[in-house]
Amino acid sequence: MNLLTAKSFKKLAVRPEFYVFIIILLLSLFIQAKSGLFFTNNNIVDLLRSMTVPLIYAICAYLGFISTGPDVSFPLIAALSGYLATQFVMVTGYSGSIIVVFLVAIACGLVMGAINGFIIAKYNFPSLIVTLGTTSIFSGILLGVFEAGRIKLPESMIEFGQQSLIKVTNAETGLGSSLPMTFLIAIGLYILTYLFLNFTMAGRGVFAVGGDETSAERAGFNVKKIRFGVFTVNGGLAAIAGVCYSVESTYFLPTEFAGMEMIVIAAVILGGTRLMGGVGTLTGCVLGTLLLTIVTNSLILVGVPIYWQKFIIGAIIIVGTAISVIQIAELKGFRRSKRKKVEVA
Amino acid sequence: MKTALKTNEPAAPKTRLSFIKMDGNILRLLIIMLTIFIIASITKPSTFLSVANFLSMEKQMVEYGLMAIGVGIAMIAGGIDLSVVYIANLSAIVAGLFMQKFAVAVSGPEQIFFIVLGILLGLLTGIVCGLFNGFLIAKLRIPAMLATLGTMQLYMGIAIIVTGGSIVSGLPEPFAIIGRTNVFGIFTMSFIVYIVIVAIVAYYIGKTKYGLKLYLLGTNEKASKFAGIKNNQIIIRAYMLSGVIAASAGLLSLARINSAKADFGSSFVMLTILIAVLGGINPDGGAGKILGIFLATITVQLMSSYLNMFPEISNFYRDMIWGIALILVLIVNHVLNKKSEAKLMRLTSQ
Repeated sequence: MNLLTAKSFKKLAVRPEFYVFIIILLLSLFIQAKSGLFFTNNNIVDLLRSMTVPLIYAICAYLGFISTGPDVSFPLIAALSGYLATQFVMVTGYSGSIIVVFLVAIACGLVMGAINGFIIAKYNFPSLIVTLGTTSIFSGILLGVFEAGRIKLPESMIEFGQQSLIKVTNAETGLGSSLPMTFLIAIGLYILTYLFLNFTMAGRGVFAVGGDETSAERAGFNVKKIRFGVFTVNGGLAAIAGVCYSVESTYFLPTEFAGMEMIVIAAVILGGTRLMGGVGTLTGCVLGTLLLTIVTNSLILVGVPIYWQKFIIGAIIIVGTAISVIQIAELKGFRRSKRKKVEVA
Repeated sequence: MKTALKTNEPAAPKTRLSFIKMDGNILRLLIIMLTIFIIASITKPSTFLSVANFLSMEKQMVEYGLMAIGVGIAMIAGGIDLSVVYIANLSAIVAGLFMQKFAVAVSGPEQIFFIVLGILLGLLTGIVCGLFNGFLIAKLRIPAMLATLGTMQLYMGIAIIVTGGSIVSGLPEPFAIIGRTNVFGIFTMSFIVYIVIVAIVAYYIGKTKYGLKLYLLGTNEKASKFAGIKNNQIIIRAYMLSGVIAASAGLLSLARINSAKADFGSSFVMLTILIAVLGGINPDGGAGKILGIFLATITVQLMSSYLNMFPEISNFYRDMIWGIALILVLIVNHVLNKKSEAKLMRLTSQ
């Protein structure tokens, strides 16, 4: 009995999610001890609020990594489809259900994602270079062709953004905070992605293609179709994030989107998603995003100057990737040494 | 599938294949370059064909041209270096702060000494940054893309911390002169430095033992290991080279605009990759020439200057054009390579 628990603990301790969880725990306790402001209801709600959009982006980055490689185009797809959806409402004067606005954005996002997917799947180019290129194209379309500027959102969209799920006020400091409905969307997307990845053949195919392309092909998966599908879906997901981000800030801010990709990629890698594909969990994505959000949001509470942020994020990416790469190497080394022992015996 | 079936046929002469491929690419580049040049000269003769325009083109292309060579070397080794722009900024900031502190107050030979020391310090920064990249990629086995994605943030972060987020300016006069001097009236000093660096690197990568090993490593890491090559050393040296070239780009930009900033030129990241790919460097490693990058840099600069002559085209359009160009060039290279491969297969199977 004792042995069993020790074994399962060992299994748990190998997983990167476990370390991230420990780090989150220590960091939050440290911030709490230093400032006394971490475990307050408004700070927790604030954290959840600022996590919403990065959480959706994290699914994009995650799907990209486990199937093919890095996808860096999602912030600009979010921006461009968010802009098109906003324009749709402005031009048609549509004031009905917000779902239609989301559907318009998703349609635009799917088209943009399909462009990525087509190029990557057909020519087998490195996904980073292709998505860097399309990012540049989308940004050119948004800022050059449409000359998008700061737009105040139409009433119907603002209304949706202001509906809140939970509203809290800190009794001591008097600071209030509310959790928007968009948080539910993020949770819904996680549940859908989880079900898709674990309970459908196509979902298993996403892992298989990332793990070993040749084996996946021999097992009967259509590698090109799966890659195309993943990047197309990524476009749709990014579009949802784009609308969520806009309704949260009540303005469409075209220049605020770019740059998010680095933090999201860092979060996903920290959460244990393997860079070479095939391995990673959604739990890891959530924990990684939580850690990065705490770093960007709450370090101010303990008096770390804002200009340290970039440095800390860079350091986290490097340390996180180094740990996961070394772990993989050790695992392999462990297996090899075990086999040798058997041979000797 | 058809080609895969014929792999047991006698292999094609490798050297001939690579020779044809390289030359084709450089010829293509030359044609594109001349076409743009001729179109620009015919449609905008007075503004395009002026000494002032050539001088400004030289000044602009030097910086990202050098960074593109850094990216290209990393790509030949089978990786990528996304951190070049921020290595350049960090080196410029280190050199700038040093000169500000020591070289401004003094004059004469002492000042020159401190300026030279500042330049060396800047180059050293580049080497150290490159060494760290190489260490992460070769020793820790982090994929180059992610390692340099991280160090890109890290170096920018260090630069922001060192400067407190502000601009470094007010450099000693003799240093700023480098950015202003023209030779024979039509060459800027920085352009001459650029040409010298290109020549040295082209020789080093194209003609030395090290270069040969680098290409082998980029083509097939396992084969190069079994050929007795110390892969780690080659990789680390490639990233150090990329770092020091990036640092020289940073120093030239420091001399030109007389200031340095942590997030200067962040749009160059895309542009450097575009130039390297346009120059015929294979992103999978093992193929491409420094001369190709040089020609691609000139092509991009001609295009960019030509677009500048139409004030109604906003700068944002240029981003879009670079993005489209990058993907088109990738596709065209891919299709042409496939074609020449298929041709060779046919030839050998007869």
